[in-house]
Amino acid sequence: MSKTKKYRYNRHTATFVLLLILSLAMIFPFVWMILSSFKTAADVYQYPPRWIPSVWNWKNYGQVFQMIPFLRYYWNSIVTTVAETGLQIIISVLAAYSLVHLKWPGQNLVAALMRSSMFVPMVVTMIPMYLLCASLGLIDTYAGIILPQITTAFTTFLLMSYFASIPQDMIDAAKLDGCGPTGVMMRVVVPNTKGAIATATLFSFLGNWKSYTWPLIITSKTEYRTLPIGLKYLTQESSSEYQVMMAAAVMTILPVLIVFIFFEKQLVRSITLTGMKS
Amino acid sequence: MSSEASAQRSAPARKHKIKLFGREYHTNEVAVGILFIVPTLAFMVFTFILPVIDVVDLSFTNFNLKTRTMKYIQFENFKYLLGAEDFWKSLLNTVKYSVMKLTLDTSIALFLAVLLDKNIKGKKFFRSSFFAPVVVPMVASSLIWIWFYDPTVGPFNQILGWLGLPESQWLYHESTALWSILLFSLWKGVGYNIILFLSGLQNIPDSYTEAAKLDGASEWQLFWRVKFPLLRPITSFVIMMGIINSFKVFAEFNVMTPDGGPLGSTKLIVSYIYELAFTNGRMGRACACALMLFALIFVLTQFQSMVGAHKTVDID
Amino acid sequence: MKLKKIPAILLAALMVVSLLGGCVSSYVDKTTEAPAPQTTEAPKPTEGTSAEPGTTEAPAPATEADISGTKLVVWYAVSGTSGELFNKLSENFAKETGVELELSYSGGSGDTATKVSAALLTHTQPDVALMYAGPLYTGGEGDFRIADLLKTTNDFDQADVFEGMMDYCDYMNEGYCAIPCGISTQVMYYNKDILKAAGVDMTNPPKTWAEFYDVLGKVMEKGNTSGAEGFKAFDTNDEAWLFKSMLMQNGCEIIENDNGEITPIFNNEKAVEVGEYWKSLVDAGYMSAAQHSNAEKAFLGGNLAFIAASSNRISRWTPDSVPFELGAIEMPYFTQPSLALGGNVLVIMTEDESKIQAAWKYVTYLTNAENNTEFALGTGYLPIHKSAMERKEVKDAIAGNEMYTVAFNQLSYTWAYTHFQEMGTMDTQIKSALGKLEKGRGTAKEVLDKAVKEVQDEINDK
Repeated sequence: MSKTKKYRYNRHTATFVLLLILSLAMIFPFVWMILSSFKTAADVYQYPPRWIPSVWNWKNYGQVFQMIPFLRYYWNSIVTTVAETGLQIIISVLAAYSLVHLKWPGQNLVAALMRSSMFVPMVVTMIPMYLLCASLGLIDTYAGIILPQITTAFTTFLLMSYFASIPQDMIDAAKLDGCGPTGVMMRVVVPNTKGAIATATLFSFLGNWKSYTWPLIITSKTEYRTLPIGLKYLTQESSSEYQVMMAAAVMTILPVLIVFIFFEKQLVRSITLTGMKS
Repeated sequence: MSSEASAQRSAPARKHKIKLFGREYHTNEVAVGILFIVPTLAFMVFTFILPVIDVVDLSFTNFNLKTRTMKYIQFENFKYLLGAEDFWKSLLNTVKYSVMKLTLDTSIALFLAVLLDKNIKGKKFFRSSFFAPVVVPMVASSLIWIWFYDPTVGPFNQILGWLGLPESQWLYHESTALWSILLFSLWKGVGYNIILFLSGLQNIPDSYTEAAKLDGASEWQLFWRVKFPLLRPITSFVIMMGIINSFKVFAEFNVMTPDGGPLGSTKLIVSYIYELAFTNGRMGRACACALMLFALIFVLTQFQSMVGAHKTVDID
Repeated sequence: MKLKKIPAILLAALMVVSLLGGCVSSYVDKTTEAPAPQTTEAPKPTEGTSAEPGTTEAPAPATEADISGTKLVVWYAVSGTSGELFNKLSENFAKETGVELELSYSGGSGDTATKVSAALLTHTQPDVALMYAGPLYTGGEGDFRIADLLKTTNDFDQADVFEGMMDYCDYMNEGYCAIPCGISTQVMYYNKDILKAAGVDMTNPPKTWAEFYDVLGKVMEKGNTSGAEGFKAFDTNDEAWLFKSMLMQNGCEIIENDNGEITPIFNNEKAVEVGEYWKSLVDAGYMSAAQHSNAEKAFLGGNLAFIAASSNRISRWTPDSVPFELGAIEMPYFTQPSLALGGNVLVIMTEDESKIQAAWKYVTYLTNAENNTEFALGTGYLPIHKSAMERKEVKDAIAGNEMYTVAFNQLSYTWAYTHFQEMGTMDTQIKSALGKLEKGRGTAKEVLDKAVKEVQDEINDK
């Protein structure tokens, strides 16, 4: 008895050490980024490389605000990302439910089409999309940034794989209670996959938060520009603005990280379906 | 609102059915099902169908983005690509990358997810740290990694030196460049799949694992006999997305080696499409190439879903 | 059973949607066999003048008052400090003239090309753009308004501009269709500390590549004071650019233009000689094989003695940011000094004839001797005017920073070849050829022959 306990303890320790090493390796570049954002230009090019800044200088952060209308870009990124994510999730939940739990003719065809929509690289569809948006008068508008980026295939398939795991008994039981298709979705499917929906929301948010090329092509006015364009502006010409760029990057990811840390519990834990423990 | 609810309540009782294409459907399921898919379809027309019709159309032309001339030239673009050395080379690079990325990404993510699913101290910290790279913008993280890979002043060679291993040229040698970018993209992307697998693992009812433990199953058996089969839907999703994304990968390669790397060793198919379209202006060829990529991914995912579907049936 | 229906449904759906689709084709004149007549595009001034008399031919009277209140959309592809200075000069212009400017950063050169291409298709292009390879988008479709403006107005003192700079604004030798702004050449920078350690007297710098080769030998011998394993004597961060300059220095033209027939000719024996010199640098261990994208970092990290890099680094590599003493010499040469120009140009793309005057005033304002000199000194791009050398600011700058002396001295032997559609492909091919050469995947002759053939095929295949 005590032997197995010791054995388990050791193995847990081994796991812990392994995870610790790996996760330190994972966050090393991250820490490097934060440290670099305080460096001076001279620190950046020092050889051998200097890890800790010689002085903690906050100037780089100030310079970001000086070089680009950072807050405006921030606001635009938030507006477009929240709108895109919100629309994507609502549409995907409806579609995933419809494809998994409802039977109607042609649904396989729709699913196949949706899957195919992920096969085409953006590089070639960009120009046709631009022409389409131009003919609809969407250039330099929020709608022009948002609408073409509502691609729901990924989130829909992600949600489908979770929705499919809801036991049929639960759905049948709800139907017997008199729930129609909408009722089943609202009372059974959605409440039981909150965690999955949170995961899908996070992924969709991240995908939209970083999008660069489309917003750059479709907008020209500063009032519609988003953060990734600002980041690019800071780096493009030469690496001498390296530390400024790092400062901008730190500020860009902070909100996402905070959201993630807050959501983390929700994301991973609440997926456990109490109803599924039969 | 209330009338809708009452209609739904009475629906199962009355069992309205219709026959469509030789199959029987519930009327209200068909109505609601189609209603729910309409928004998706509407956006798909806008973001996929219309642009792709253009892409197909253009693939038969010599449309030049710079001169903006256009003439239908039938299958010339496809012929050109099949005879182009760069096309085959970039395709080969893509396949190499995809196979490695898919295998490593999926297995490492699954392995770490299983470890993180256990009751371990600092779980929350570990999860966050594995996920952290996902949120770092590509421009910033690639700058950091290019730094790490510097053959002279980069910390990676420094570390190899400490370990007594030979130094590497990383991004600057044709035999290591692709794998260096692979390492970077694993770091950047593994957190994604960890989260997916973790949520799948947490989805497994405790009763299943408890029962297996009572039967005296070892951890190893528990994983392969109980957890892994139950993870199938997520695994199959991860693999499908892995195929699609690794064949379409562009950003990492474009930021790390904008020129296609030493001897073109990091030129992937989408980088090639980008070069055709925007460096050379040959939009027609780029579209033809994109269609060939489309066909390739289509075949692969079709194959994958056949294999995946077959195995799922086994479990249930 | 159901499977049979799918193709039918798909076909029907496709037919319905294709009625709505086909966007690109509707934006392009498909009947064009010859490349020249892109009549749907901006009305060309040569034709427009007959229909709308007085717009371009008689611009002189009353223009000063006219342009106030005009709104111009401007895209620029420079960022960082250059972007800031460009903005500042533009704002000054707006203040002075009352022209309303809407400035917008359009991304790097690749992004800008994409954005401009898309915008031209839908006629949503900017009125003015500062971009790389601008002539492809103006002269490329027969828009030579700038040539007309140069003839009919005297806002731009063309005689005072270096000839090479004007050549850089030409399309297929058909005429000027851009104005130089934000132009650069490569400069040979060096790390003074390393050269001192190597015992090389740089007061008498190497003039030819052969002399330079000897200096590199000394550098490799004694210059590596830090003992770093990857230490090299020389590299460049843009190999195609340097190679083209070297070809010209050895008397090898890069392309021939016979009445619009472009022929790449960089594979003759003169070119092969250059290729062999290039290879000898790698063979001797003076230059790394195919690590050009890392050259700048290696140089700033003190592990590279010489680097050939754009002159715009002068303003960026300040004593603050470079941890060693920085020097520069004029670029070595083979038989004659010669340097290829690079960088950006200003183009006027507006379709609105009433905006042309304002656009032209704006372009000439940015490139007048005073403003252009300010832009040059602030960014390290080159002044385009010969007379700039006489200006006090320039003299002060030279006195304060010897690297300006080098960069400005080099101006007298700069050149540019005419813009042609396949120039992007050509650069890609040169890079690829040099990569193979450095890695020993072919002799200089073989790799250059291959590159020339690829470019020629691309040109022939219209």
